[in-house]
Amino acid sequence: MSVLLRRVCGSAVVLAVVLVLNFFLFRIMPGDPLTGIVDPRFSPEAKRQLAAQWGLDRPLSEQFAVYVREMLSFRFGLSMMTGVPVWDELKNRVPNTVALLLPALALSSALGLWLGTHAALRRGSMAERLTLLAGAVSFSFPSFFVQLLLLMCFAYLWPLFPLRGTTSIPPPEGVSALFDYIWHLALPVLSLTVLGFGGFALYIRNMMVKALGEDYVLMARARGLPRRRVVWNHAFRGILPPVLTILLLSLPGVVSGAVITETVFSLNGVGRFLLEATNSHDYPSAGAAFFLLALLTVACNLGADLMYVLVDPRVRREAPRG
Amino acid sequence: MKKKFRSLWVSVLLVVCALRAAASEGEGASFDIFSFRGPKMRDLYYVITRDMDAALLAMSTKKLDVMSDIYRPGDIDRLAESDFAELSAASGFHGFFVTFNTRKFPWDQTALRQAASQAVDANRGRWTRDLFSGYCEPLTGFLPHISPYHEPAAGRRTPGVAAARKRLADAGWTWNRSGWLAAPDGRPVPPTRLLCPPSSAAATSTEIAELVSETLRSIGVPIEAEPMDFQTMLARIDVRDFDACTNAWTMSRDPDVLYSFYHSSMDVEGGYNMSGIADAELDRVLDGLRYAPDERTARDMASRAQEILSELMPVIPIYSRYSISSIRKDWNGVFTTDRSASDNELTLISMSPKEGGERPIYWNIGDEIRTLNPLVSSTAYDWTVLGTVYGSLLSVNPYTFEDLPWLAASWDVSTGERGSVFTFTLRPNLKWQDGRPLTADDAAFTIGFIKDNNVPRFFDLVKDVESVETDAAHRTIRVAMSNTSYWHLHNIGGMPVLPKHILQNVADWRAWQPANRPHRALDGTELTELIGTGPFTFRESRTGEYVHMTRNEHYILFAPDEGAAK
Repeated sequence: MSVLLRRVCGSAVVLAVVLVLNFFLFRIMPGDPLTGIVDPRFSPEAKRQLAAQWGLDRPLSEQFAVYVREMLSFRFGLSMMTGVPVWDELKNRVPNTVALLLPALALSSALGLWLGTHAALRRGSMAERLTLLAGAVSFSFPSFFVQLLLLMCFAYLWPLFPLRGTTSIPPPEGVSALFDYIWHLALPVLSLTVLGFGGFALYIRNMMVKALGEDYVLMARARGLPRRRVVWNHAFRGILPPVLTILLLSLPGVVSGAVITETVFSLNGVGRFLLEATNSHDYPSAGAAFFLLALLTVACNLGADLMYVLVDPRVRREAPRG
Repeated sequence: MKKKFRSLWVSVLLVVCALRAAASEGEGASFDIFSFRGPKMRDLYYVITRDMDAALLAMSTKKLDVMSDIYRPGDIDRLAESDFAELSAASGFHGFFVTFNTRKFPWDQTALRQAASQAVDANRGRWTRDLFSGYCEPLTGFLPHISPYHEPAAGRRTPGVAAARKRLADAGWTWNRSGWLAAPDGRPVPPTRLLCPPSSAAATSTEIAELVSETLRSIGVPIEAEPMDFQTMLARIDVRDFDACTNAWTMSRDPDVLYSFYHSSMDVEGGYNMSGIADAELDRVLDGLRYAPDERTARDMASRAQEILSELMPVIPIYSRYSISSIRKDWNGVFTTDRSASDNELTLISMSPKEGGERPIYWNIGDEIRTLNPLVSSTAYDWTVLGTVYGSLLSVNPYTFEDLPWLAASWDVSTGERGSVFTFTLRPNLKWQDGRPLTADDAAFTIGFIKDNNVPRFFDLVKDVESVETDAAHRTIRVAMSNTSYWHLHNIGGMPVLPKHILQNVADWRAWQPANRPHRALDGTELTELIGTGPFTFRESRTGEYVHMTRNEHYILFAPDEGAAK
């Protein structure tokens, strides 16, 4: 319990540091929200009005106080880019990002797990060589290239999937709208799965090869346990903690890293919003998005720690000692 | 084969542009906007497709009808070769320049800047051809070619590196053994940097910066291109921490932009006089241009300002991008001029399918709509939609850029006690999209609201407004300004007119989201507060997906018998 408490306190400190850095780093970055306005019809006087409207003319300490209040109350204020509450901006985008990334993460990790394990069990076989090759190709190909290729093949030459967006125009109604949504996300999810399974497959294969050579696995074999049990109950269980850590910690990364997919398939997600907010120095939006990402990272970290306790009995035994 | 085809298309493009430019004077004089009727189609969808390749595929499969802002030579080639799309090009207001920091040595030396421009003059055409496959035009002046006030700066001096070196030698500049320049007072020219965006963000800008640097080195200036993050570059330009930089901006039909870029009072934080040029005579002429009482004075001052700038050369003009758009060939009613590509409002209202009948128009938008609040919005994508909703007192002749009557049937310009006075007489029987009548009160309230609230987006347009009076009986609105300027007419006449019955209930204009607030039309139809006088009425927007609009049957040019498709 004390370990958990320590972890929670540590996470709170991390969040506080992120909160402070979030404010100052964006202001240290070259430029400000007005730098990007290069319009000869927008005079310096008009820019000053805009700065006042956004509260940028107030002392930094006052801006910081407002910022902390907005973040801790989860109100986040209005986006400078759109004038819309940042919450509303995020609410519009988060469902699409989750619907895109969670299935993609689940599918790519499941496929990677299956291929990686089978490759490890069949050392030197054609299956292993194919897995290594497919893994390397999937891992190393640029995402925009693969996605444009898929778009060209399956949305244009063989139009199984739509070319863009998450809905048909005009949108269907009722249950058809749900199927329409799934149909629109199928190709982006497929593309992310194709791009993502390679890394998992190579990682799992390497871990499994190592685990299968460990003494406790040899011992299990020597005890005459069935192969399936040796592989899944002993070898795989041994590599489960780092695999879970990687899976959980990749979550915040995929949320922010889907910019290219969102661009190629014209999806309205969080990744692109984050990029645009950062590029245009939209302090409230970028601050809120990074704060929420930090929150997600800390939560995933905590989750990974908890999972460690659940899946690794050694940690459970060590925990009370702190 | 592809190269041959490209040069053929470019040649055709140039010939068509030249012919249209020659013909446009005549057509412009007889142009009657009220001879148009529409919108002919009931539904319009602005479809957001960010990826250009996806948009091209969508166009070829009839999922898109209109594409704007096509600038990649490969895409233009593909569309030009296609059998489904028709391309159109028009000169635009875009300009790409190399700016010198005239506040410090060596670019504070006029002779050096003149020599640099001579050296570049000899290469500008070739660079534009090579880098853009002819889909941009060399920019030879401080205003774009289509500006009615454009005067060429290039050609005033003999172009070429040899001529540039001779100018420098005549002015007392010398070269050391390594070939680098020293000023007449003996100061060696220090190594300098030409800031530009990285090739990952703007490949052609980086390449041009390299080419310009190479050319300047050939006259003895030790300069290197320095690609950097765009925001960092802008921030450095803002604090004047640079030797030279590349800039691109969009200008307007009025030469008043010269004031913003070259008047010494604009060399302040947030000002656009990036070069820091400060010349008393230039300031005097630019003051005269900004506060010109009439068109003739404005023309004289614009001409004189460009003449002085050609001597001072604080920037070197490089190229201007054509505005290129494409429409599927199965549509009738496409309207173009040499100054307007096919993606304009007259095309939008005139479009009808060649096979007849009713069909939605799918019009591509290359990025997300950020906001549909007309008081806040500033991106071109937002205004593609908002421009379809709102109208202004005056319109612009697409051939000549002269003023045309629109919501105002006529206008009168006079000089009052302190400055210009404009009296606009509104057209009778104007209606908002919700069926309520549009009156002079609406126009007056819009100006007052913007001025009282210091709305930054329109601040410069109304800051000199002294008083606004209306006469309901005569449908007139009288706007008195605190000073005299020919451009005030364009500022006031070009502003969108917003409905008073909606605007007066807006509590916080910054957070106002008219597209999300329901509003009932007079006939009971459910609309939103995004109500204007434009050809299409806003219906629904799905963030990041599309904006759906339907025909406004109260639109000035709508005629039920001719407008609707049979």
